[in-house]
Amino acid sequence: MSNAKRLFLHFRRTPAFVGFTLFVFVLVLNIVVQGPTHFFSSRSLNTLFSKNMPLLLTTMAMAPLLISGTLDISIGIQLALVNVVSIMVFQEWGVSLYVGFSMGMLASLAVSALCWALVSVVRLPSMLASFALIYVVRGVNVLIMNKPQGKVPEAYYKTYDSLIGGVIPFSALILLFVLLIWLYLMRTKFGRNIYAVGGSPRNAFAAGINPVWVQFQASMIKGVITGLAGISLTLMTASGNPLQGEAYGLRALSACIIGGLGFGGWGSMACAVFGAGFLVTIQNTVYYFFNLLYRIIPGFTVTSYWQNLVSDIIIFFGLLMTIVTAKEQREALRQGFVKQFKGGESATQ
Amino acid sequence: MLPNRLEARMTAGQRIQVFIQSSPARMAVIISVALFAITVAINPRSLNMAALGSILLLTLVLSFASAGQTMVLIGGGLDFTVGAVMSSAAILTTYVMNGQDGRFLLVFALAIGMGIGVGLLNGICSVKIDLPPMIVTMAISNVVTRMQYVLTQGNPGGYAGPKFVGSVIDKIWGFIPSLTLYALLLVPLVFFLLNKSRFGKQLYMMGNNPTAAHLTGVKTDKIRILMYVFSAVLSAFAGMLGAAYMGTARCQIFDEYAFNSLVAVIVGGTAFTGGIGSFAGSIAGALLMIVLSNGLTVLALSQPVRNIVQGVVLLLLLIVYNRERAVRQ
Repeated sequence: MSNAKRLFLHFRRTPAFVGFTLFVFVLVLNIVVQGPTHFFSSRSLNTLFSKNMPLLLTTMAMAPLLISGTLDISIGIQLALVNVVSIMVFQEWGVSLYVGFSMGMLASLAVSALCWALVSVVRLPSMLASFALIYVVRGVNVLIMNKPQGKVPEAYYKTYDSLIGGVIPFSALILLFVLLIWLYLMRTKFGRNIYAVGGSPRNAFAAGINPVWVQFQASMIKGVITGLAGISLTLMTASGNPLQGEAYGLRALSACIIGGLGFGGWGSMACAVFGAGFLVTIQNTVYYFFNLLYRIIPGFTVTSYWQNLVSDIIIFFGLLMTIVTAKEQREALRQGFVKQFKGGESATQ
Repeated sequence: MLPNRLEARMTAGQRIQVFIQSSPARMAVIISVALFAITVAINPRSLNMAALGSILLLTLVLSFASAGQTMVLIGGGLDFTVGAVMSSAAILTTYVMNGQDGRFLLVFALAIGMGIGVGLLNGICSVKIDLPPMIVTMAISNVVTRMQYVLTQGNPGGYAGPKFVGSVIDKIWGFIPSLTLYALLLVPLVFFLLNKSRFGKQLYMMGNNPTAAHLTGVKTDKIRILMYVFSAVLSAFAGMLGAAYMGTARCQIFDEYAFNSLVAVIVGGTAFTGGIGSFAGSIAGALLMIVLSNGLTVLALSQPVRNIVQGVVLLLLLIVYNRERAVRQ
C-alpha cells in the first residue's frame, strides 16, 4: 500500500474526518459561489477571519470541556463579560487598554473556575448549571455596565483588522497561537489524562488520575481561550455591550458536534476548528449565494430572514450527516481494537 | 416510606434531610408559600385578588408547557422545541383567527398538526438517527424560529378572537381565571396518560432502564417518538392559550418557556436521568417559578439583580435535588 493511501486511511479513522469533509465541501462551494478571485483576495480573507474569530475561538474553548466530559452553555455571555470588564476598566480607571484586557481575562478565568466548582466539585448536571450561570453572568454584566457604551482607540482595532505583510490576517495569528499551545499541551501528561477522564471518570479515578483536577485544568484552558475570544469581540465591535454574544454558546456547541466531538473522551481540537469553519463558511456561502441570485434573476428580492433560514436548515442537515458517519467511524475504530486483541493476524492487511 | 425502626434511629438533621429530599413537589409548594408570605410581608399591597388570579393563570400556562417536557424527561430525553412551538402556535392563532371566533377549530387543527409535525421530527431525529436530544431539538427549534420570521416577514399580524380571549382571561367569581376550565380538562388527561395508560407505564419503565424495557417487549422507539409528539402537541396547545392571554403575538414571544418549563420540571423533582418524576411535581415547580418571578417584580428589584437572584435560586435548587453521584461511590 502506498504511503499516501495509508496516511489517508489513518486520517479517515480520526474523529476530525467528518468535520473535515463537511468543511472542505462547503469551502469549495463557497469558492465557486463567490468566485475564486474574489474569495482569495486578501481583503475578503481578512474579513472572513476577523469577523468570525470570536465564534472560532469560542468553539475551540468549548472543545477541552467536551473532551473532559463537561460543557458550558454560558460561554457566550462570558464573552460579553470580558468585553464589559475590559472596556469599563479602561474607561473608568484611566489605564491602558492592555490592563483592561488583563482584567477581562481574569474575569473569564474566575467564571470558568466557578463553573468548574459547580459542575465538578458540587457535581451538578453541566447543562443546567451553566444555564443558571447565564442569568448570573448577564446580571453581573449589566451591573458593571448598564447600557452599551465605550470606545476602543483606533490604533487597537486597526491592528486587529490589519494584514501582516499584506497577506496574513492579524486575527489568524491568535488562532495559530492557541493551536500551538494546544499542540504542546497534548504532548504532556495532561493530554492523555483529559481523554481518560472524559471517557470514564470512574475508570480514570481507579487508574490514579484525579478527574476533578484534570477538569479544573481543562476549565482554565477554556477560560484563557474564552478571554481571547472576548478580546477579539471587543476589538471587532470596538465598543462595549453587556448583553451581546449569548447565542455564541449554542452555536459553539453545535459547531463542536458537527465537527465530530462527542460528549466526553471523543474528538480533538481539529474537530472544533473544522466544525466552526463549517458554520462560518456556510454563513458566508449563503450570503454570496443570495447575492448571486439577485444578479442572475432580475427582480428577485427576499429578506435576510431567508438567508438565516437556509443556513439554519443546512446546519441541521450537517448535524444529521455527522452522526450517521461518526457512528460508522466509531464502529471502524472498535473493530480495529478487536482485531488487535485477537493476535494481530490482520495488522498487516 | 422508610421502615419505622430506621426512622426512629435517625437524628433530627437526617430527618430534615429525608423530609426535604423525599418529595420535591411538597418542598416546592412549601417554598412557594414561604416566598409568597415573604413577598406579602414586605409589601402588603401585593396581596390582592388580581395578583392571585394572575399567579394562577401564569402557573397554569407554564404547567401546560411543562406537561410534555415532564413526559420527555421521564423517558430519558430532552425537548428544547417547547418555546419555539409555543411561539409558532401563538402566531398561527392570531394570524389565522384575526378576531373571528368561528375559526377556532381550524386554528386548533392547524396548531395540533404543526405540533405533531415538529414532534415527529424531534422523535425521529433523536431516536432513529440517534442524535443527542439536546442538540437536535435545539437545531430544530432554531429552524422553527426562522420559519416564523420567513412566513410573517418578522411582523405577524392579527389578533385572537374575543370569545376565545374571554374563555381564558374572564374571571369566575371575581378572581379565578376561566383558563382553569381548560385545566380541568387537560390536567386529568395528562395524569391519565402518565399514571394509568399503557403508554405511561412503558414510559417510566423505559426511562428507568431502556435495555430492560426493550427486552421485556416494550417498543422503545415507538414510545420515545410518541413522547416527543405528545410534548410538541401540548406545547402547541399551551401556545394557543398563551396567544389568547396576550391578545396579539410576535416572533419568539414564548421562547423563554423552553427553559422555564425545563426548570419547572426539574424543580418538581423529575430527574435528568429518566424514570423518575410526576406531573404533580411539575405543577408545583411551575408555581414556584411564577411565585418567585412575582416576588422579584413586587420587590421592584432592578433587572440585573433579578437575573442574579433567578440564577442563584436555580443553582440552589439544583444543589438540593440534582447532584450526581461522586466518582468514589
